[in-house]
Amino acid sequence: MSQDKEESALMDMLRRGYGAVFYENWPIWLGGVLLGIMSVITFAWARPWGVVGGLRNWGDWFFKGIGLYSQTPASPLLSTNSLIVLGLLWGSFASALLSKQFAIRMAPPFELLKGAVGGILMGIGAAMAGGCNVGGFYSAIGALSLSGIAMMIGLIMGAYLGLRYVYWELEHITTGSAGGSIDSGAGKGLNFLAAEPYIGVLAVLAAIVFTWIYADMALTREGVLALCGVAIGIIIQRTRLCFVRAFRDPFMTGEAEVPRAVAISIIIVILGSAALKWTGLRDEMVYVPQAFWLGGLVGGIIFGFGMVIAGGCGSGSVWRAGEGQIKLMLAVAFFSLTVSLAERAIDASQALTALMGHRVFLPHYIGYRWSIIALIVVLLIYYLITTWNEKTEKFMVEM
Amino acid sequence: MTDYKANETLDCRGLSCPMPILKTKKTIGTMKSGQILEILGTDPGTKNDLPAFAKRGGHEYLGEKQDEGFSRFYIKVK
Repeated sequence: MSQDKEESALMDMLRRGYGAVFYENWPIWLGGVLLGIMSVITFAWARPWGVVGGLRNWGDWFFKGIGLYSQTPASPLLSTNSLIVLGLLWGSFASALLSKQFAIRMAPPFELLKGAVGGILMGIGAAMAGGCNVGGFYSAIGALSLSGIAMMIGLIMGAYLGLRYVYWELEHITTGSAGGSIDSGAGKGLNFLAAEPYIGVLAVLAAIVFTWIYADMALTREGVLALCGVAIGIIIQRTRLCFVRAFRDPFMTGEAEVPRAVAISIIIVILGSAALKWTGLRDEMVYVPQAFWLGGLVGGIIFGFGMVIAGGCGSGSVWRAGEGQIKLMLAVAFFSLTVSLAERAIDASQALTALMGHRVFLPHYIGYRWSIIALIVVLLIYYLITTWNEKTEKFMVEM
Repeated sequence: MTDYKANETLDCRGLSCPMPILKTKKTIGTMKSGQILEILGTDPGTKNDLPAFAKRGGHEYLGEKQDEGFSRFYIKVK
């Protein structure tokens, strides 16, 4: 074979590989598995995956800026809470570019309002439950905390109520259309869509350079955590893994693909973080929120309702914002402001703090072995019930 | 892709998950068997969700067409 032919065969192979990764859909279960592995890597590296801490950090800065708070919050470029969310935002932005899916997407006014209200409700719910769908549920169950289960029950109830509201809205409110995306490319000299993958590559390179520079400044821990966030962002954007769907779909369409993926994902996190805690490599009480059970349950209900009307949860709002959706950008902004205020209010009042509940690390009560088994059984039950419902549609709510 | 002549068009541009699916479901409920529904959308999620929705409901997903800044999806009602 001539050199030319070999080169074109190689190019062809690369092009097809790129297409498979960035233009074709990844199966959702794969997203669950990869997210689980990535969460464990993140925890092994420094700390569990979370979203609310970062949003709160940004909200704190806003209120410091307008003079409401006197204390100076941690720098968003040094706080691991903030860096991991910045990574998530950047990763989903890069991933959307690489797959030619980035566009500034305007929504009709009523939808924007739903984004804002959903964000506010998620802020209140997350403050009560000690985290959003990630820190309060996903990583919390992974960290063997019982409040994660309380929030899970709340999220199921909240998603059900949210769906009932959406059905009501469909009958009574007309939202209208926002027309096409703003950067549709019409009339512009440059074809932005064709250039997106190149900008995406630059965005990924920028993230690597960022980590490199942080490592040089002896901030390796922080830099790599941001990179973990980027990896999580790419995984979630490509698979469109959405925690709203994990709770809403069984009632709405009956589909159980996402609930299954989330259940598998959390089982991986349980096994990984149990290893890290059991061996004493990580502090046992990490990511055990003080929210068992009232905070987790009620916070879960409020959060679940909010995420359904916003159309994105803690992580889901961030990655969709990274994809250019204005409604979810609003949800993130209002989420971050509300969670800052609500957490501050709860922290300031002993009565409120006590009302949220206790920090329950399950192995302190039934030992590691039974904790791991019990939590996996709960998730398998969720897996089986939602799969059974997929066939029977027993829990489906008709419009 | 061949051009489809739609009996009805549903404008979901600017709407995000779950609204496009729910509106599609509602509109299909008012249509007759064999008719074609065209859905206009801007949410990348719709691209995955509509074929899955059609399959589950027994409708035929005909395909998708790119337009300026949005997509057109076609579903043939069961």
